[in-house]
Amino acid sequence: MQPVFKVRDLSLGYPGKTLFEHLSFSIESGTTLALLGANGSGKSTFVKMMLNLLSPLSGEVIWPAGRPREIGYLAQMAEFDSRFPIRVRDLAAMGAWGGFGMRRRLDRDGHMRVAAALEEAGVLGIADQPIHTLSGGQLQRALFARVILQDAPLILLDEPFAAVDQHTEAHLLTIIDRWRHEGRAVVLVIHDLSSVLDHCTHALLLGGGEAAYGSVNEVLTPKRLVQQKYMSESQAAWMFRDALSDTKKDTSYV
Amino acid sequence: MFDFFAEMWSFAFMQRAFVATTVLSASVAPVGAFLVLRRLSLAGEAMAHAITPGIVIGFVTAGLSVLSLLIGGLIAGVGVAVLTSLLARKTILRSDASLASLYLIALAAGIFILSAAGSAIPLKSFLFGSILGIEDASMVLVGGVATVTLLSFSVLLRPLIVSTCDPVFFEARARWPWLVDQGFMLLLVLNLLAAFKTLGTLMAVGLMILPATAARYWAATITGQLVLGFVFALLSCWIGLTLSYIFPNTPSGPAIVLVAGAFFLISALCAPLGFGRKSRKQSHKDITSLT
Repeated sequence: MQPVFKVRDLSLGYPGKTLFEHLSFSIESGTTLALLGANGSGKSTFVKMMLNLLSPLSGEVIWPAGRPREIGYLAQMAEFDSRFPIRVRDLAAMGAWGGFGMRRRLDRDGHMRVAAALEEAGVLGIADQPIHTLSGGQLQRALFARVILQDAPLILLDEPFAAVDQHTEAHLLTIIDRWRHEGRAVVLVIHDLSSVLDHCTHALLLGGGEAAYGSVNEVLTPKRLVQQKYMSESQAAWMFRDALSDTKKDTSYV
Repeated sequence: MFDFFAEMWSFAFMQRAFVATTVLSASVAPVGAFLVLRRLSLAGEAMAHAITPGIVIGFVTAGLSVLSLLIGGLIAGVGVAVLTSLLARKTILRSDASLASLYLIALAAGIFILSAAGSAIPLKSFLFGSILGIEDASMVLVGGVATVTLLSFSVLLRPLIVSTCDPVFFEARARWPWLVDQGFMLLLVLNLLAAFKTLGTLMAVGLMILPATAARYWAATITGQLVLGFVFALLSCWIGLTLSYIFPNTPSGPAIVLVAGAFFLISALCAPLGFGRKSRKQSHKDITSLT
């Protein structure tokens, strides 16, 4: 596993507001990092920093093998114009427009790659529909097809399951698993802890002015989740009730 | 019928008007399409008024030349755009309120200066256009702007599509994302200036917005949007000019924009994405047959 992205002594925030300080860690190929935190804890800010859209307050950002030419990216749906006159097929094909190669049309091989990506995302059957006719889940699948076509070594997904049903989420998680098996690094902003446990190898928990990085099991402890304001004490007690009763752990934190 | 057209086209000013508006339609159609898709329809309207003082000051100081029109209009357009973004970033006002405030000041200043300077041009033709005013230099301006616009779109089309549909995705991938925004605003100002003679400052943006909104009711793809927008703009110009010829006292701007408005209303009533739109899941079957 090669490190793809590293930060050293990173502080992130905006002028007048520091979200967290002194974070050092690296993201390696073939891993899936869950980026967790309460609203406003800096998850999207962190993703934007990775995309070079904003600078850290201090610290060092290192790309050990150089910044990848292509970074797979799925933004939150809020700013996406779902009424734009474009077909599913063309929306996905944007992923293959690397560097927006202005005039060049997709060749035969390109069309086959688009079709394969649409099929994997489960939207080949509606490839010629305009996107305004799609449900939230179908649109997110089409956007996943676009990420597939970006064919990037590093993939950033900002809350991809916010508006999709369980079935779609499960399907899209299999694609994320495939990316990891292929040796890509995936960063996933996500809220559902059970999906994190099943599909992510590492976690970065932001909140309470801190940032905690480690394997999923190291980070997702009830104590830490409460301490970093990810959940209330009673929520943690409920969520970890089995583990706590099995091991008779000290529950003084609740 | 044939005699009527033969007579109309025997006038040099009508020939010029038809040629100028045909070229103008090709130029403003893509700008209008993206004004609508980027939710800048009202900003485009405001910008049309905002360039007025620039045109007037250029006219009053340097006479009615294409160069004074171009320079004055560009300075005013860019000035208002920069001031709007300054007000929106540094003060509590949002950009729509900033732009509205500035364009009202600009329009009032333009009309005030024009009247105070005792202009030789009637105010009506300044505001609403005149087919008689299209001289050689104006033809060159329209042709030049159309050439610049179409060449720019051949490069900017894909970036514009991505930045309009998914701005965050675009910003994350593009090296100079601001280039697309600023380039588009510049094309908008250039096209408003090119449309000024035929349509006047109040109506110039009408030929951009109405054909584009009418096309939006029919088109499922961006290609369809652009092609239909051009067809509606062209027909609006031809029919509008003919109406303006039949009723000699009517300025050409409102005539053209009224025809475009008729296309818009008919489209809203009859098109698959207008009032006739079926439920979301069924409508795509109709729409996919149109490109």
